[in-house]
Amino acid sequence: MSTKAFTLVSAVEPELLMGDKERVNIECVECCGKNLYVGTSDGSIHHFLLEEQPLPAGTAAFTATRQRHRHLGFRKPVTELRAASALHRLLVLCDCSITLVHMRSLEPVPSGARIKGAVALALNENPVSGDPFCVEVCIISVKRRTVQVFMVYEDRVQIVREVSTPEQPLAVAVDGYFLCLALTTQYIILNYHTGVAQDLFPYCGEEKHPIVKRIGRQEFLLAGPGGLGMFATVAGISQRAPVHWSENVIGAAICFPYVLALDDEFITVHSMLDQQQKQTLPFKEGHILQDFEGRVIVATSKGVYILVPLPLEKQIQDLLSSHRVEEALVLAKGARRNIPKEKFQVMYRRVLQQAGFIHFAQLQFLEAKELFRSGQLDVRELISLYPFLLPTSSSFTRSHPPLHEYADLNQLTQGDQEKVAKCKHFLMSYLNEVRSTEVANGYKEEVDTALLKLYAEADHDSLLDLLVTENACLLTDSAAWLEKHKKYFALGLLYHYNGQDAAAVQLWVNIVNGDLHDATRADLYEYVVDFLTCSSDQALVWKYANWALQRSEELGVQVFTKRPLEEQQNSFNPDDILICLKKYPSALVRYLEHLVMDRKLQREEYHTHLAILYLDEVLQRRPGAGGKDADLTETQAKLRRLLQKSDSYRVHFLMERVQGAGLPMERAILHGKLEEHEKALHTLVHELRDFPAAEDYCLWRSEGRGPAYRQRLFHTLLALYLGPSPSAPSPSTPELAVAAVDLLNHHAAEFDAAQVLQLLPGTWSVQLLCPFLTGAMRDSIHSRRTAQVALGLAKSENLIYQYDKMKLKGSAIRLSDTRLCQRCHSPFCEPAFVRCPDGGLVHTHCAASRRADSSSSSPGART
Amino acid sequence: MRKPDGKIVLLGDMNVGKTSLLQRYMERRFADTVSTVGGAFYLKQWGSYNISIWDTAGREQFHGLGSMYCRGATAIILTYDVNHPQTLVELEDRFLGLTDTANTDCLYAIVGNKVDLSEEGASENWEKEGHSSGPVGGGCVSPKVSKQVRLEEAVALYKKILKYKMLDEKDMPAAEQMCFETSAKTGHNVDLLFETLFDLVVPVILRHRAQGPPQTVDISRYKPPGPAKSGCCA
Ligand SMILES: Nc1nc2c(ncn2[C@@H]2O[C@H](COP(=O)(O)OP(=O)(O)OP(=O)(O)O)[C@@H](O)[C@H]2O)c(=O)[nH]1
Ligand SMILES: [Mg+2]
Repeated sequence: MSTKAFTLVSAVEPELLMGDKERVNIECVECCGKNLYVGTSDGSIHHFLLEEQPLPAGTAAFTATRQRHRHLGFRKPVTELRAASALHRLLVLCDCSITLVHMRSLEPVPSGARIKGAVALALNENPVSGDPFCVEVCIISVKRRTVQVFMVYEDRVQIVREVSTPEQPLAVAVDGYFLCLALTTQYIILNYHTGVAQDLFPYCGEEKHPIVKRIGRQEFLLAGPGGLGMFATVAGISQRAPVHWSENVIGAAICFPYVLALDDEFITVHSMLDQQQKQTLPFKEGHILQDFEGRVIVATSKGVYILVPLPLEKQIQDLLSSHRVEEALVLAKGARRNIPKEKFQVMYRRVLQQAGFIHFAQLQFLEAKELFRSGQLDVRELISLYPFLLPTSSSFTRSHPPLHEYADLNQLTQGDQEKVAKCKHFLMSYLNEVRSTEVANGYKEEVDTALLKLYAEADHDSLLDLLVTENACLLTDSAAWLEKHKKYFALGLLYHYNGQDAAAVQLWVNIVNGDLHDATRADLYEYVVDFLTCSSDQALVWKYANWALQRSEELGVQVFTKRPLEEQQNSFNPDDILICLKKYPSALVRYLEHLVMDRKLQREEYHTHLAILYLDEVLQRRPGAGGKDADLTETQAKLRRLLQKSDSYRVHFLMERVQGAGLPMERAILHGKLEEHEKALHTLVHELRDFPAAEDYCLWRSEGRGPAYRQRLFHTLLALYLGPSPSAPSPSTPELAVAAVDLLNHHAAEFDAAQVLQLLPGTWSVQLLCPFLTGAMRDSIHSRRTAQVALGLAKSENLIYQYDKMKLKGSAIRLSDTRLCQRCHSPFCEPAFVRCPDGGLVHTHCAASRRADSSSSSPGART
Repeated sequence: MRKPDGKIVLLGDMNVGKTSLLQRYMERRFADTVSTVGGAFYLKQWGSYNISIWDTAGREQFHGLGSMYCRGATAIILTYDVNHPQTLVELEDRFLGLTDTANTDCLYAIVGNKVDLSEEGASENWEKEGHSSGPVGGGCVSPKVSKQVRLEEAVALYKKILKYKMLDEKDMPAAEQMCFETSAKTGHNVDLLFETLFDLVVPVILRHRAQGPPQTVDISRYKPPGPAKSGCCA
């Protein structure tokens, strides 16, 4: 496969150059800016000015206008020409001598400076001197096995070094201190400064014309065995694979990234980037191929031609349009060095994107994705390939010139539905990958909307995930699409995401009611209830509360009961809700339970209402007893629990309802609430004969009260057991006696044993009451012993005090005439005295007056 | 182009399968190859290192290029064809000399390729039956023949190379580790070969970074004390 990298155009027509002098041939050329010099076999130099006219196809046309020409005065051909533009000099090699001539006048320098004895020369393009007004020239000397290095100034030359080589040199190139030499049997690198030589590889330069060409910093191109173009660095290393020329190359040139070679019939173009041959131009009788600052010139013995490189971008585009992606990328990447960074990046990115689309069109998605990523493709370019995926509001227009040739996916796949599906699948995964990366920056709406559309169309589960997480789907576009694909549930989610909860719920309600069909969620009703429960939009909740309750009171009421507590406290008014729930009895019960049990509200109405509702149910169901026993007992249990636990209901009101309703247990509880323990216990013992309940009652009612209260209750109960039964006025039935015994034995601690013993009938055996009596005994012994211990302790404490007192009284006090009262300082006349804590003695009256003093003076002293 | 951190060079007679081995490893396939002209190279990223792998041409014509390709090599893979004993002989006679330009601490691997062509377990049979049997003459027309080169011979060559290079066996990887029998066709041992080498090359790269390459004069860096460059504005 070939690329068109160069076009061959004529620069100097044979007629212009030689006219009719048929014997005269071109020997060498030099091009420097617009100046073209031609050296001929008759010893002349011709100077032309080249004008370039760019042509639209990326090529150019050249016209050369003749300037001066000069005959050097030798009958020898001009073998080489080199311009030193900084010096305005042309170096002319003719008859083994290098003359310096003026670039314009072509006059030799007046000083007559020249280099003698040269068979070939090379200019150092990487000079070591750093002097801008000096060029470094290396020559192969006419002396055997000798090269020389010169500094050439405006009008003088100076030899710097002469180096002898192991064999006769045939060609030379220079870079810095390094000479790359073709010798008779091999190529070498020679550092003329140190004299160190490095063999490169053998080559018989006498059999085949050697080529030594500097191609860049520290790197040379050499003609190798078998028609190879070999690359070698000054270190003697090859860093690029060789290019493969024909066996008889005459000349080589470089025009990045290409290596051009000339042989008898063709000019071949190889890429240095992949070593492939890219172009072949037929060209007969060529004998010079050289590049001059990027301009490639080829010449026959009669005419001069220019190889105009096609702009790199055009080459790349050509490669891309023939789907040679790899080559295009290599070429584009290789251009990095030749194009300003900014421009390169724009160009390279574009090439990557184009390459991505080529792979994409071949359904090579992995490659495409990588290229889109590295090319930083505007994701909308890709989306826009898919009909209808971009939002109608998008202002996107594809880049111009286009990145690919396809109008849309249908054209690309030629309607192959399987391919379309694959492409869509790719886009889905691609968008999903990029949507959270910087690729989607700025285009989040486009990306998410497209993704939504793809998911909806493909009935993909991720549609819901997309909608319930943060997304940028555009409402109008997405809504229309979801509707079209009957994704009503998803549509609801979309509305919700966009703050249109009312619309969302309306849709879902329609689905639940069967007006719309969408089977996405089988539990949509529960979902809506949940949704309303969590919604902070009161109006919305009120609007759909009836609907929810009608479908299921149990679940529907959750919109009120399951709301977050904080929110309930300040928004929904329980009374409003109660009014609403009037029509839904079980919902009402649930709600009241919620108020009373969960929220622990103490409003009397709620408690009473709930109790009444329970009671009604219990009463209502009882007549048809039998069937729903479990339910009934459950309600009854709830009722009892409420009556017991709650202190907020109206006891009397309930009592009225319960009285005569055949609910003794409930009545007992209510009596209990009214502190009518005797009645309560009477009911329990005599009506219900539920002795455990009676015991529980005592415990329940005495909760939180003192032991005396509890004792009283237990005694009341015991008295009931032992007393006469109302139904049978005879002494206590055996049943009650057993209950009494059990009560005593189980709750021994709750009784005053002495009192109990008086109540008990004398006929009862000690055996019968053994646990009670043991308990009572132990209790009484225990309390006796405790009392004894307390007594002992109190006594010993008393003793301690006595001891202290004695200590204080311990020593005798002698009262004599000499002893004076500490206060009045007069002697004691009576035996009575007062001893102060400090041991001082005072009269009794002095002590009294002092106490009075100190108490009267102390307020003063304190101030 | 980033300069590679290390270089591996494949040497060996033409047709032994150097290009095929490299193609098998780099492109995971075995396809028809043409005899290599000049040379070619691949860049392999191994960890954070770039290793260049040079495929050379076995043809006599390009023999002279070998020294240059081997210059500064970190490792050299000497390849022969297990079905052609002569290719092993050539390694010693013709190719070993080319490796003189390689680093002095260059690693060597010896690879007998095309094992798929010889019979399963052929080497064992060969050993049992002594050196008498096996279709030694008559070219290799039959698809399955006895292997003609035993691994021990490669091992012997490896040891010889170390002697020739005056390297201490103790400092170098063991012969058993560095002699491979591969098939580019089936992929047998190909990954093992290259990856063993990469793993061995990395420490060498690190060592060179720390000490500079051993005894190779980097003439490109040499800057003689010349007249100080004058700035352009001076
Ligand atoms: N059966 C078999 N054939 C192989 C194997 N390796 C290479 N070949 C074949 O051997 C021939 C030569 O292979 P190449 O890889 O080109 O050999 P080379 O060493 O690169 O040869 P030069 O480039 O000329 O030096 C080709 O026809 C390959 O298909 C192998 O492992 N098994
Ligand atoms: Mg090969």
